[in-house]
This record gives sequence, structure tokens and C-alpha cells, in this order.
Amino acid sequence: MKKKQSNKIYIGSRAFDVALVIFMLALCVVFLYPFLNVLAVSFSSNSMITTGQVTFYPKEFTTKAYQVLFEAENIFRAYGNTIIIAVAATVLNLVVNSLMAYVLMVPEFRFKKLISVLLLITMFFNGGTVPTYLTIMNLGLLNSWWALILPNAVSAYNVFMYRAFFKGISPEIREAAKIDGAGELQILARIYAPLSKALYASFGLFSIVGIWNNYYDALLYIKDANKQPIQMILRKIVYSFATTSMGDAQVMIGNGELNQLGVQYATIIATILPMLLVYPFIQKYFAQGMQVGAVKG
Amino acid sequence: MGKIKKLFKNQGTLLLMLVPGLVLLIVFKYVPMYGVLIAFKNYKASKGVWGSDWLDPLFKNFITFFKNVNCWNIIWNTIKVGVVSLVITFPAAIIFALLLNELKGNRFKKGVQTISYIPHFISVVVICSMLNGFGSTTGLFNDIREFFGMARVDMNNGSKYFMAEYVGSALWQTVGWGSIVYLSALSNVDTSLYDVANIDGANRWHKVRHIAWPAMVPTATVMLIMNVGNILNSDYTKILLMQNDTNRSALDVIGTFVYQQGIVQGKFSYATAVNLFSSIVSCILVVGANMIIRKTNPENSLW
Repeated sequence: MKKKQSNKIYIGSRAFDVALVIFMLALCVVFLYPFLNVLAVSFSSNSMITTGQVTFYPKEFTTKAYQVLFEAENIFRAYGNTIIIAVAATVLNLVVNSLMAYVLMVPEFRFKKLISVLLLITMFFNGGTVPTYLTIMNLGLLNSWWALILPNAVSAYNVFMYRAFFKGISPEIREAAKIDGAGELQILARIYAPLSKALYASFGLFSIVGIWNNYYDALLYIKDANKQPIQMILRKIVYSFATTSMGDAQVMIGNGELNQLGVQYATIIATILPMLLVYPFIQKYFAQGMQVGAVKG
Repeated sequence: MGKIKKLFKNQGTLLLMLVPGLVLLIVFKYVPMYGVLIAFKNYKASKGVWGSDWLDPLFKNFITFFKNVNCWNIIWNTIKVGVVSLVITFPAAIIFALLLNELKGNRFKKGVQTISYIPHFISVVVICSMLNGFGSTTGLFNDIREFFGMARVDMNNGSKYFMAEYVGSALWQTVGWGSIVYLSALSNVDTSLYDVANIDGANRWHKVRHIAWPAMVPTATVMLIMNVGNILNSDYTKILLMQNDTNRSALDVIGTFVYQQGIVQGKFSYATAVNLFSSIVSCILVVGANMIIRKTNPENSLW
């Protein structure tokens, strides 16, 4: 009798396992299908798109949407702009935050408490859109990339995370290095930073992704079309398609050679492709960074 | 004087290392915080924050906002968007983590996780562009509608499909990524608990209910308090992109209103006042949520 019952539980459990795997596979399709659809439409012909026949692979393959896009917009300049901003912001972010964290980790440092509180407050309060905008305007940073680089460089969360990590490094190492005549800066650069490589990698990647994906700061602060990052190009093409002067695109759409949706999707692909290409190689650092946060935080 | 000299001699390098961060912190975080004062002033750029005249009455901007015919509509929209998002996305990440935890194959689990993170890395512009495309008459959403025998409609027209698109895309983007913190809480569970449970004849549901779930509760509580504080901070950068001429006023939330009034129309003082109002309410919400938790479940409260 008892055996029969446990058998039933076993079968129920197996059935659940199978159902779960099917459910998870279905979820993966939900996560990925939209990307495949966008990719497929961007390479399909106008007639296939307008009749709603494109699913997850291109039909009547054509690269016209991409040709039009790359002729009308200087995509490579937008990539270049974004990369310059991302690199500058990320270097600044890593250096400034870990410097602060190191100082706050030193037990004998005088103003530890005060500075920690100053940082903590910024996690809960901020000036809001308009006062921040006015500050940047008064500094003369409108239309400058510095407006996208400087304001978010200091992150209280990052500082506290570095500090927690640094605290895990034995203080005797620091004492020994000091006796050998090493300065504080040297100790950070030669000992603490190399030991915290994983954390630097995670925060660096988060920063790069954050800058790559940011459009709102550019919308607020950058007016010059030549200085716009890639996200603003996408925004322009999707949201002001009718008014934008995309060469012969309007004419081609008018006579059915080209599909508006195709061009929009081609722009989406151009925007996300660099990220998706590096994603498989860097994804483990992201999850790692989140886990450090969860355990040490 | 001698004391200060000694401080600089001993900790001078440390102080210097602090300078860049401190300068950035003060200029870009604390100066704007001080700038919030203009909510109570008639801000003139030429006079600066301090030199501008105080408003009479002091709360004039707030009174103007509450007398605005759209005011309650905007507040209601903000609450609706925030609450619906919270109610749907918050439990989803927890359930997803629990389900992943039940998966047997380690490699399969890793694969599902990796795929589930991808949408998180998509920018708001991309997600809104996709929504815009999918909702158009020849887009994916309409392909699906047609498959189920429904007519094709332009879903970007009007505000009827806004909520489903907004929350659905948020769910798609956050469910995988949001599960990470819960999975790492689960990984800290003492495995011997499971062995004991097996000997006691516990089934899988029992183990979820009495081992996995309690391990996640502290993390979930912290997350909940923080999410409640964010209810009013709807993702207005996303809504700004989802707005068009057919639905602009119907979709307005506090964040988009602040942008529209402050940045586009240049009503700096007024927009700052509206923003300040929402920050204060957010603050009250966090404190309130924490207070309720502290009453019912003291060891899990945030402070």
C-alpha cells in the first residue's frame, strides 16, 4: 500500500518535471522570438511584410532596408560617439568609485562616517529632472558629451560594493605594503584592484551597457545631430519617420519598393547587434556582479 | 592649526584620493538637491537659485498643480501604471526563480537563465520601437491576433493597448534578471535540510513551501519595500516614447508631465514642484511599507 503511494508521488513528480521543461522551453521561445521576428522582417520584401507573412526567417530576402539606412544616416559616426562616451564614462566610473571605496575602507580615516552618509543620502534623494538640467546648463555643459559622462559617474551603490569587497582583503597585506614603503595609491593599484578584478569587470560592463542604452540624457542635453549617440538615431527613425529626410526612402516606400517597418527594424538590429554579439562572452560577469551584490550587500 | 597639519601629513593622500568623487558628488548630486528650492521660488536664470524671489503664497506651484484639470488624471495614471507593474512583475520573478530551482539538468537550467537575461539588456528605445512595430497593422502582435481569428488593428492608435504593452514588455524584460537575487538566496540554503525533508517523506511542494520559500522571504521583503517606494517613479522615459498624438494626454504620468512642463515648456519652478510632490509621496510610501513590515515581521524590515 505504502509503496503504491510513493510510486504515485514519483510519477506525479516526473510528470511535473516534464511539464516544467516544456514550459521553460516555451518561455525561451517567448524571450527570443521577438528578436528573430525583427531580424526576419528587416531582411524581407515589402510585399511579404505588408501581407503579414514573415515569421522568424526572411521571406524574399533583400538588404534594401539596410542600404537605405546606411545611406541616410551616419550609423558609424553614431557608433563612434557612443563608444567614446561609454569608454570615458566607464573609466571615470571605475576609477572614481574605487578610489572613494578604498579611502572609506581605511579604518583610521577621519571622515569615514561623514562621507558614507553623504553617499547614502544620494541613494534615496535626488534633485530631479529640472534642477539637474539647470545645474548642467549653468555649468555650460549643454550639447557637450560631458553632460552624459560626469553626472552619473559617482554611484553610492558601487562605492559600497567595492568597499565591502575591499574589506574582505586581509588588512595585514596593506600594513605590510606600507612598511615596505608603498603609498596608498600604489596599494590600491597594485594589490586591491587586481584582487577585485571580477568586481571591476562587472561594474565596467554595467556601465558600458548603461551608456549604450541611454537615450534620455542625450534627449535632454545633446541638440547637435552630429554628436548624438546611436539610441537617438533609432528614436529619430522610428518616431519621426514621416518628417525625417531619409533620402529617397519616402519615394521608395510610396511606390512599394521598401517597407517602413523594414527600415525601422533594420535600425533596431543595427542598434542591438553590437551588444548581442558580445553578450555570450560577457554574460557570466553580469550574473556574477549581481551575486556579489546579493551576498555582500 | 597643528592638528590640521598633522591630519594632512598622515592622511593627505587619502584625502586627495577622495577629491574627484567628492567634487562630482557635490556638483551633480548636492547642487541639484539644493536647486529643489526653486519649487518655492519664481526662478529667474539671471538671479540664480538663491537670488530668485520667493513665491507668494509659498506653495503657489503646488496649488496650481492641484487646480489643473488634468492633475488627478495624471496622478491616477501614475498610480495605476506603478501598481499594476508591481503586482505583475514582482511575484513573477519569485515564481520564475522557484521554477528554475526545480529544474533538474544543470546545463539546461544555465541555458534558460542565460536566455532569460537577454531582454534585460535591451534599451527603452529598442523595446518601444519593437512595441511600435509589433503593434502596427502588419506587426507581430497583429500576426498573432490574426492567427487567433481576430481582426488586425493599429494598436499604436489611442491608449487601449498601452497598459498591456507597457506591463507585458516590463515583465518580458525583468522576469529573468529579477530572479537572480532570489536564486542566490536559494543557493545559500543548507542542503542537509533537503536530506532531512526527504527522510521525513516531504513531497516537492512541501520542500518549496517549507525550505525554499522561507529562504527567499528576507530578500523578497527588501525588494518589496524598495519596489513600493518606486511605485510613483513609473518608467517615464519609456512612456515618453510610447506617447503619440493620439494618446498623449491619456498616457501622461508625473514623470512625463515634469519633462513636458519643465524641459519642453521651460516652466522650471512649476515642474520642480510637481517632481518634489511625487518624491515626498514616494518617501512616505517607503517609510510606510517598512513600518508595516516592522510591525508584522520585525526581522525582515529594512531598518
